[in-house]
Amino acid sequence: MLEIIKPLALGLGFGWMLQKAGLTHYARIVNIYRLRDMTVMQFMLVALLVGGILVQAGVDLGLSSALVVPATLLLANFVGGVVFGVGMATAGYCPGTIVAEAGEGRLDAWIGGLSGLFVGAIIFGLLQPVIMPVLARIGSLGHVTLAQLLGASPWLVLLVFGELVVIVLVLVARIGKRAT
Amino acid sequence: MRVVLLAALAVGFATARPAAAQCPANASSCITCHETRGARPVLQAGQIWHDDHGFGDLCASCHGGDREAVDADAAHLGMRSNPLDDPSASCAGCHDDYAARADRYRPFLARAEQDRSGPPPRPTSPASAATTTTSIANVVLAVAAVVLAFVLYLLRERLVPARAGHRSLRAWLTAKSWSPYLAGAGLGLIVAISEGVCGRPLFASGAFDKLAAYVGKPLFPSSQYYQYLVSPGFTWPVWLMVGVLGGSFLSSRLSHEARLRWLPDTQWVPRFGPSRTLRFALAFFGAALVQIGAGIAGGCTSGLAISGGAVLAPAAFVFMAGMFAGGIPTALLWYRGRRDV
Repeated sequence: MLEIIKPLALGLGFGWMLQKAGLTHYARIVNIYRLRDMTVMQFMLVALLVGGILVQAGVDLGLSSALVVPATLLLANFVGGVVFGVGMATAGYCPGTIVAEAGEGRLDAWIGGLSGLFVGAIIFGLLQPVIMPVLARIGSLGHVTLAQLLGASPWLVLLVFGELVVIVLVLVARIGKRAT
Repeated sequence: MRVVLLAALAVGFATARPAAAQCPANASSCITCHETRGARPVLQAGQIWHDDHGFGDLCASCHGGDREAVDADAAHLGMRSNPLDDPSASCAGCHDDYAARADRYRPFLARAEQDRSGPPPRPTSPASAATTTTSIANVVLAVAAVVLAFVLYLLRERLVPARAGHRSLRAWLTAKSWSPYLAGAGLGLIVAISEGVCGRPLFASGAFDKLAAYVGKPLFPSSQYYQYLVSPGFTWPVWLMVGVLGGSFLSSRLSHEARLRWLPDTQWVPRFGPSRTLRFALAFFGAALVQIGAGIAGGCTSGLAISGGAVLAPAAFVFMAGMFAGGIPTALLWYRGRRDV
């Protein structure tokens, strides 16, 4: 039962934040690629930084046992990102925001978006055995963090990263918001 | 034979894990212990064999054992340390010509076993890394931190955005939108709970892989992916998306933004016209690409870029670079000559 309640609760907060940040608008998602609306970047960078500090604090305080680290496969991460970006700039979607758009009552997300995700998942399932062994071979660094890769203190990496994030946010704050 | 079976059963019962393990990671326990927690990792050790087979969470496909057991003894029950000892069990799942392949690789693997003494070292672990590189990296980072602090000092006038006046809780909850900084901080908290407490990234795309497997598994009986890698299931990632649906509904309902509509509110109609069919077609096409891209990259905006970025995994930043490399030309193409829209 907890295995249902926990993800439901996390999802509720996730959907709430996506909707409140206005990421459920086609224009807002597409215009980040036209460099006209930086809301998505502001939202993501702050989420990343706050999440990073809390997760690292949790590990250091002994509240959580280990970091959940995705595999760095340089070529696969990049190629996947390119395909993702093409789709995102075409439809104004990413997987999470399609579901959030559906929650707002947007029928294009219900009809076009959700079915597209479903069919895309099937296509990836068929492509996976063909392309992934090749893509994953190049630039495979494993489940590492930047701190492990550099052999540096994670807090120092977070500090430099945090400063960079704040500078970027200050610099993009003037880019206009045309959406909604 | 019967004795062996009985013994195996006895061990199985004796080491049975508790029925509801708390928030198990979505990766196999093999990956969680060996790779993420760093107990005898193999995927980064530079062995060609593991490089070639490390594109998925495949450990148990070749080595056997119980990929879901959290107890080390239970997980290693029935494990094959050398999968080539029994290729019909280890390799046949994916390779039809397993016998020929096994013959080809056996001498190579025997040599590799001889060369290797003890567990492979983890090149990137702080414990085994030379202390000199550690201190150099730390010094460089410290210098960078000071330089960036100076840049921030120069930008100090622009650091504090205009503050909104005091608002009641009710006004907050029913607001049409929040500052992206505030909503982003909220999402950061949720990511931290998901990763730190539940041991899972906050992924969105995974749910659709699980749902698509309901169709893929019966439809493609010879697919290695559907038979061995992704099983259908109404599990964690799917419930997470059900939650997102509810959270967005709740938020938009409270701000009177929830209503049925066919087309995006702004920008779409001036550029693409009022055709619903065109919107559905491009929405479908874009969503499919987004899901395929997330599959290749190993996660989506939330599961890889934000959740992976929060632990400062290089994967997240490479993925984001790819997103812009693909997205900017695409957006330019759709809006070529339409700067007015």
